[in-house]
Amino acid sequence: MQKYPLWKSFTVILLVLLGVIFSIPSIIYNDDSDNWFLKNKINLGLDLQGGSYLLLEVQLDTLYAEELENLSESIRLLARENKVKIINVKYNINDVTITFENNIKIKDIKNSFFQMYRGVSIQENENRIIVKLDEAYKKTIQDSAIKQSLEIVRKRIDESGTKEPLIQRSGKKRILLQLPGIKDPERIKELLGKTAKLTFHLVDDDNTAALKSNIEPFGKIIVSDIYDENIKYLIDKRSLVGGENLVDAKGSFDQTEGHAVSFRFDTEGAQKFGRITSNNVGKRLAVLLDGVVITAPRINSAITGGSGIITGNFDAQGASDLAVLLRAGALPAPLEIVEERSVGAGLGADSIAAGKIASFIGMLLVCIFMVLIYGTFGALANISLIANIFIIISLLGTIGATLTLPGIAGIVLTIGMAVDANVLIFERIKEERLKNRNVYQIVKNGFDRAMSTILDANITTLIAAVLLFAFGSGPIRGFSITLSLGVIASMFTALMLTNFLVYFYLSISSKKELNL
Amino acid sequence: MFGLNKIIPVEPNINFLGLRKKFLIFSIVAIIISICLLTVKGLNLGIDFKGGTLIEVSTKNTSIGELRDMLSENFNDVSLQEFGSKDKILIRLQNKSNQESIETVNEVKNLIQDKVLEFRRSEFVGPTISSELLLRGFQAVSFALIAILIYIWLRFEWQFGFGAVVALTHDVLFTLGLLSVFNVEFSLATIAAILTIAGYSINDTVVIFDRVRENLRKYKKMELVEIFNLSVNNTLSRTVMTSLTTLLALFSLFIFGGEVIRPFALTMIIGVVIGTYSSVFIAVPTLLIFKFRPQDEND
Repeated sequence: MQKYPLWKSFTVILLVLLGVIFSIPSIIYNDDSDNWFLKNKINLGLDLQGGSYLLLEVQLDTLYAEELENLSESIRLLARENKVKIINVKYNINDVTITFENNIKIKDIKNSFFQMYRGVSIQENENRIIVKLDEAYKKTIQDSAIKQSLEIVRKRIDESGTKEPLIQRSGKKRILLQLPGIKDPERIKELLGKTAKLTFHLVDDDNTAALKSNIEPFGKIIVSDIYDENIKYLIDKRSLVGGENLVDAKGSFDQTEGHAVSFRFDTEGAQKFGRITSNNVGKRLAVLLDGVVITAPRINSAITGGSGIITGNFDAQGASDLAVLLRAGALPAPLEIVEERSVGAGLGADSIAAGKIASFIGMLLVCIFMVLIYGTFGALANISLIANIFIIISLLGTIGATLTLPGIAGIVLTIGMAVDANVLIFERIKEERLKNRNVYQIVKNGFDRAMSTILDANITTLIAAVLLFAFGSGPIRGFSITLSLGVIASMFTALMLTNFLVYFYLSISSKKELNL
Repeated sequence: MFGLNKIIPVEPNINFLGLRKKFLIFSIVAIIISICLLTVKGLNLGIDFKGGTLIEVSTKNTSIGELRDMLSENFNDVSLQEFGSKDKILIRLQNKSNQESIETVNEVKNLIQDKVLEFRRSEFVGPTISSELLLRGFQAVSFALIAILIYIWLRFEWQFGFGAVVALTHDVLFTLGLLSVFNVEFSLATIAAILTIAGYSINDTVVIFDRVRENLRKYKKMELVEIFNLSVNNTLSRTVMTSLTTLLALFSLFIFGGEVIRPFALTMIIGVVIGTYSSVFIAVPTLLIFKFRPQDEND
């Protein structure tokens, strides 16, 4: 073939062939293949394969409040050591003000407190101490809370048997979850909706007056029953032992009690539990999950083995879910679902089918139109267009990009826009034809002149696509990926492949006139 | 070959710039109406930006009225709508606090469980997220306009950048106005469509500008209006061809691509038409206000 360098023909053919070959894995789409080659297939987004996307926000305010409570508790202890009475404690969002009866020992208290918590800012003002959470301290709390939450969410999701979940931190205080192929997002949401803080408290059954008047005596709190809010318990504020000492929990079935959760403490927990139960035989022990009582059985005898069962009105699923929560551990703070997008497998499959039809028909229309307008050259452009699609598919597959529904729209749009570069070239060739006689010269000038326009025009589209990627989320990113790949591939196919095809066509047809 | 390439004359000589005043008035009126519509009527914000809950179900032999009766008994802010076909129904619920909304979804699902063949999708967007998404969408569009302006400025003279951005702003406002007229749902996908329209319209404009620049160099003695007219005519068949192929693909997406993608396809179709129009009738005439011949000055 004259006037066309061999190395260039070779490169073009090779690249197109690679495009076709590496489209095969995505076209066959064998789900479970371990073959290195077949693994290069397109990942389907959640909106196409079905699944759930959840965005959770760690409720840091609860955590800060808890931290303030802990800090004021420390001051209370220090006050007791120094024999000073506290007359008032007032909580704000970021600080707590503790008022003492006098200011004699206030400096000592402040200093000892400072020794214990160097990161916390503390101020004294007459007989008041103000403890404040500053930004740096809050950030440490936040970071550790997110890290811990991530780990526990991961454990809970793993235990629920979800395949290939994606769990990652998103921004300052959020956790992003992608759960492909999940059928029952409600159950997952329920699993994540609980902090699952398990605590054991002694019940005070003697002070019925406090319970009746709903006034909490010092060191005690009133809590309600999980099944009936009207049943109240007066319990010790301090938890005797908690979920952090659990080593195992599983759903079990008891002949008399029905479905239950059996649990086992570690050594420390077992010792504590043994001591409590042996010292308080005859009293009731309340088991609290997230601050409400699940059950409050009477301690009949000391339990020293470190294991026990929690009973309640569980069904099988409820018992095993609670066991999952207990095994995974408590979240440091509640998680709130701030965004959810779940797509059923049916809609996903419908979207894929519709996308295929739309792409096919769009392609057919564009191809027919090109042939009608440009004749043989149109047919050559169509070969480029088809190669373009193969290249997009193969790139999506090999870089492991995710194809979403807007991504499919991006491909269809690319089909319409990809011929643009060809059109620019052909129109240039038409113009050059008026000035030149030699067909090769006409074609060469046409391509050369169109080049800078093609670059300018496509780079602006790429800018829009890149910004879309930077600011977009999930499915929209899929659109910007296919659009960008489409634009890049269309530049290559127009400037290289169409170029090659035109020269090839001219050399075999040996025409002196251009039919365009 | 088929003779169809003669639809557009090889060397058209249409006096586009002569029509510029009429189209300028048309565009100004359209933009004013668009801005009025956007402030008075506003856009039909989807849950991405308004927040709330959306559930799509396919039903078993249940009419939409029946479902509506069941749900409106228990929820006072529920709206139902057929989605593509009779058995597909979209249920929307107003926004509440995050926790409440999640519970509401559960309640709705339990309530209509028996009538439903499949829960096709459920989406919930909390109030903080929807306002963040709106902000990010706005940022994306603004940054895109700025980035494109900078690119054009670097590649051409700044006057071209100005013309391009006038045309782009025109396209975005005009498209939004039409979305408001047709009550098309405004979602994240719409933002993507608008950015793509910006990319597409600028693509068109750049091709013409490229030719303007070339002709400015080539015909140093020619009147500016004539040069612009010549440039638009030179590139006319390309402008028409590319718009047509893009529209062919988009119509295919609109008709066959499924209900979910339809608002996106419609927005794109509107935008491509407006973008093509603005490249010829807005971007190029804008250059006239500068009375410039950049190459002459440099030479």
